Amino acid sequence: MRWVIGLIAAVAVLIALPLVVESAFAIDICIRILLFSFIGVAWNLMGGYAKQLSLGHAAYFGLGAYTSTILQINYDISPWIGMVAGGCVAMLASLPIGWLCFRLRGPYFTIATIATAQALMLIFLKFRDFAWGAEGTTIPNLGNAPLMMQFEEKAGYYYVVLGLLALALAINYKIEKSWMGYYLVAIGEDEDAAEAVGINAPRIKRDIYLISSFLTALAGTFYVQYIYFIDPATAFSFNVSIEAALVSIVGGIGTLWGPVIGTVLLETTSALLQSWLGSGIGGIQLTIYSLILMAVILWRPTGIMGYFYELAARRRARLVKA
Amino acid sequence: MVGTIIQAVINGLLIGGIYALVSIGVTLIFGVVKIVNFAQGEFVMIGMYISFFLSTQLGIDPIVSLVVTMPVLFVVGVLVQHFLIRRVLGPNDMPQIFLTFALSLLLLNLSLMLFTANYRTVHTWYSDEAFHFAGLYVPYAKLIAFVVAMALSGCLWVFLRTTDLGKAMRAASQNRDVASLMGINPDRVFAVAFGLALALAGAAGSLLMPFQSAYPFVGQVFVLMAFIAVVLGTLGNVIGALVASLLMGIAESLGIQFVGADSGLLVVFVMFLLTLVFKPNGLGGGKAR
Repeated sequence: MRWVIGLIAAVAVLIALPLVVESAFAIDICIRILLFSFIGVAWNLMGGYAKQLSLGHAAYFGLGAYTSTILQINYDISPWIGMVAGGCVAMLASLPIGWLCFRLRGPYFTIATIATAQALMLIFLKFRDFAWGAEGTTIPNLGNAPLMMQFEEKAGYYYVVLGLLALALAINYKIEKSWMGYYLVAIGEDEDAAEAVGINAPRIKRDIYLISSFLTALAGTFYVQYIYFIDPATAFSFNVSIEAALVSIVGGIGTLWGPVIGTVLLETTSALLQSWLGSGIGGIQLTIYSLILMAVILWRPTGIMGYFYELAARRRARLVKA
Repeated sequence: MVGTIIQAVINGLLIGGIYALVSIGVTLIFGVVKIVNFAQGEFVMIGMYISFFLSTQLGIDPIVSLVVTMPVLFVVGVLVQHFLIRRVLGPNDMPQIFLTFALSLLLLNLSLMLFTANYRTVHTWYSDEAFHFAGLYVPYAKLIAFVVAMALSGCLWVFLRTTDLGKAMRAASQNRDVASLMGINPDRVFAVAFGLALALAGAAGSLLMPFQSAYPFVGQVFVLMAFIAVVLGTLGNVIGALVASLLMGIAESLGIQFVGADSGLLVVFVMFLLTLVFKPNGLGGGKAR
């Protein structure tokens, strides 16, 4: 029962946060943390549990962003509908992309996913009639229009992304506790062995890729609504793919809370660095991120969550002894 | 028309030689150490910066600076293998992928901090000179780069075929356990393979310098090409990687010529995707040599 009370308390704090915190900078950091936690959870479903280490999730982030923006600007359709439409476009795209990339395993799967995301970016750069080409476009500012996913206060965005993260965590929790979750872990441990005991690995991988790409696309729509701007370099940014994987690995790959903890650590570090050094020095954020990533891989490959589990196990062992 | 096609093929072939140096390195590491080095492109970038500084500070010609970049990167490779890669070898490929990936991010962003994103160019006496032949145009800098790249690839091939160390390397790539039973020290073989691969990347950097600007992201272009070439040429196969690199250089150049200046990479991606559809084991049919 203790964890239920803890969870309710945490949710209450998260909901009250924008009412208490005045600084726009702080709320912006909270939004970034929630957004990248959300993307991390979406990535972790496939990358963490099934160990299909994609570095191409920017493909779906971008498709979600472009679908809702095209619908909004050309057809005046609310981004709320555009968001779901973007998710569906991403799911449709994940079928052929998955069909291609799942032919490869391990590192070459990773490379194929990078290539597909890059190819999509090039397509959006090249076909300017269809989506504004390299210049991109700004999203018309309608003032306070919650029905068009635009808010005057940053708190509005905060609640949207908090809701998204809650949705992703709920889906993740459901999957983790279902047969699907066990199938995914089995595939992640040893795909051939999983197939040998009768798991239809290609189907499971396809299904989890559908869910993962749908969620990632929602994040894309949210992000362009938040920054009021879209271009191929932002929407299909390789950094999105990197951060999705990075927060999960640092936090604890294949765990429910890993991506959230990883994002809190990395984004706080980067915010502190920014306020300490200013944003003048290019590359410093990713330099620090890559050092953290290397340290985690060399000394604690199960991530921060793995460390917690280890501590808990040690404590339990001590209690049993006593 | 025919002239344009031949010119595009020549351009592609010349740059393909550089792609070959990078992708032979990737495939050598994959074949012997069984990991994919995501940081290979960043070592090309480091090679370029070394050549750039040798040229601007000491006046050494970039191509001559090969004699510095290759040994320096060989040593770097041995150290990287010994202190980083060796610790993550094993059946689990997650740490391997993300360790080399983190290394790539680190080197890229460190050079962004140290050297800024500015383009650094070296101008040599042969940078603008070209060789005209039957209406065709062959820039000296690219021709030299191509010839040296092919010579280095040839040397590597001879080394793998004829020397004891080369044979040990091929043995370790075929079966690590049996090789170590035969008295081959896998740590040593892996370190040499990693060193050689990085030396090739360094050579590619020096050879590029007379006609390509150095900037922190320059390696990314080459490494993506190299990865695709390595899949096309069958993982771990040196000759396959060489042939695939030349083909990809040609495909990219034809793409630039006939589809549009920004479409070279797109053509290559399409080729890659088609390969995945029809020949997922590579054009050679799947045997790693």
